[in-house]
Amino acid sequence: MGGLGSQLRGRVRAHALSGLLGCAGVLLAIGVWVLLSRLLAGGGGVINRLPGPLPVLQKLLEYASQDLLQDLRFSLRVFVVGWLLAVVCATGVGLLLGRVRVLGDVFLPMVEAIRPVSSIAWVPLSIVWFGFGFTSKAFLVGLGVFLVVIVYAVDGASRVPADLSRTAAMLGMNARQRFVNLILPSTLSEVLIGARVSLMAGWGTVIVAELVAADAGLGAHLISVQQSYNVPAVIATMICFGATGFIMNQLFSLIEARLLPWRAGILESRA
Amino acid sequence: MIGAEEGRRRDVRKRLLLGLGGVLVIAALWQGTIFAYELPLVVLPSPWRVIEALLTLVRTSAFWKDVGVSLMEFAGGYLIGGVLGIAAGLLLAESRSARMTATPVVEALRFVVPFAWIPLTVLWFGTSYLGKLVLVAYAVFFVMLVSTARSIGQVEPTLSRVGTMLGMGRWQLAMRVHLRAAAPSIASAARAAAAIGWIAVVAAEYVGASAGLGLMITNAATSLATPVVIAGMIVIGGVGAAVSAVVRWLSRAWLDYR
Repeated sequence: MGGLGSQLRGRVRAHALSGLLGCAGVLLAIGVWVLLSRLLAGGGGVINRLPGPLPVLQKLLEYASQDLLQDLRFSLRVFVVGWLLAVVCATGVGLLLGRVRVLGDVFLPMVEAIRPVSSIAWVPLSIVWFGFGFTSKAFLVGLGVFLVVIVYAVDGASRVPADLSRTAAMLGMNARQRFVNLILPSTLSEVLIGARVSLMAGWGTVIVAELVAADAGLGAHLISVQQSYNVPAVIATMICFGATGFIMNQLFSLIEARLLPWRAGILESRA
Repeated sequence: MIGAEEGRRRDVRKRLLLGLGGVLVIAALWQGTIFAYELPLVVLPSPWRVIEALLTLVRTSAFWKDVGVSLMEFAGGYLIGGVLGIAAGLLLAESRSARMTATPVVEALRFVVPFAWIPLTVLWFGTSYLGKLVLVAYAVFFVMLVSTARSIGQVEPTLSRVGTMLGMGRWQLAMRVHLRAAAPSIASAARAAAAIGWIAVVAAEYVGASAGLGLMITNAATSLATPVVIAGMIVIGGVGAAVSAVVRWLSRAWLDYR
């Protein structure tokens, strides 16, 4: 019992230490920021527009009290619509290409050829096709997410463990039962990993798409404050982007831990 | 043995043929859509027009200048970000207190995707080479830092113990055991970082640039030269794949001692 107690105490101490050092790190970073902004205030070469943390915070609050929610809603709608559609499509296509050998042989090389062309490279074409509105951005996000998730879906569909499929055959499952109980779960659990990996790729695509085809959303706000040389507001908007990405990632981790508890460890190392 | 070899060769040939079939099916669908909906050139040019545009592009010197500019921006940022990222990752993996201090800041910055930095780099550095260099270095730095720290953390503890037993100091252990043991996963992270860095260059060139592939295709898009846009996309994808292949080849050569 004494051993357990001291172990626990040791762990608490390590925790406290990590919290303390973490705070010190954040303070240090802010200190460097303040120092840099002071040093560069007098016109230090190229970066002569670095505001300190306070003006940025002020702009952040100002933005939060005005258009932040509206912009955020627009950006998130683009993201969610594109992402969901892409995940569903990729699952369907992945099942087809992963299970039907001929289709896989015919179309997978094509998918592999398109994949290196990141969705970012599609931005100008998407503007030509769909203009500056919602559709072109949702298309870009969808494309980016699809090209990530499809790989995982094909993998999950085609690599059902051999002993499991033999067991299924032995148990006399028919094709439908095998699909529902074996192939679909195997595919879906891989798709979930792909969906997680594509989260940040999709969010990045939203940013670029909104920067280039700016009509609404966080990215459009970022470009408009940039064009008025409002550096504090630019940094404040960047913080909004980072915070949103972080929250999405945490939310998805929670969902994932619920759906695939045995996978949690693997995901930690892969993400 | 010979039979197996032959069988594999036939398998490869069959795969190639089927893959080619896929290309033909897609090309036929592409061409068919144009005929069926009578799409104008601006919306969807035929595959032949795209190939034609690509061939004309390749013959102009302006195109090669754009490719060169983009590649230079990428290479500079990639090298700087890669070296700094691996070094910082090594430091964080080796020193617990450094890791505890830096983790919150690193985690916070990691979620500010490099693309969100584009407008700021334009404000700071204009449309110059330096801006893209910083952007790519930033993107690559975080990928390399996080994956280096993680892969060193996963190195077999026995190896460290053996190193300690052989009388290696902390520094020697880090350089000669940990870095070596983690090299394969660092190399695969380097490939992922190359893809991210390359696309960051293209994205940065959309927003503010005086030359480069990203600028070329946005210019083509605003003048509604769709065949050139698609040809440019193919080039961007091709260069991305080539860069990734080069990184893979280099890391293979480097890891050859295994």
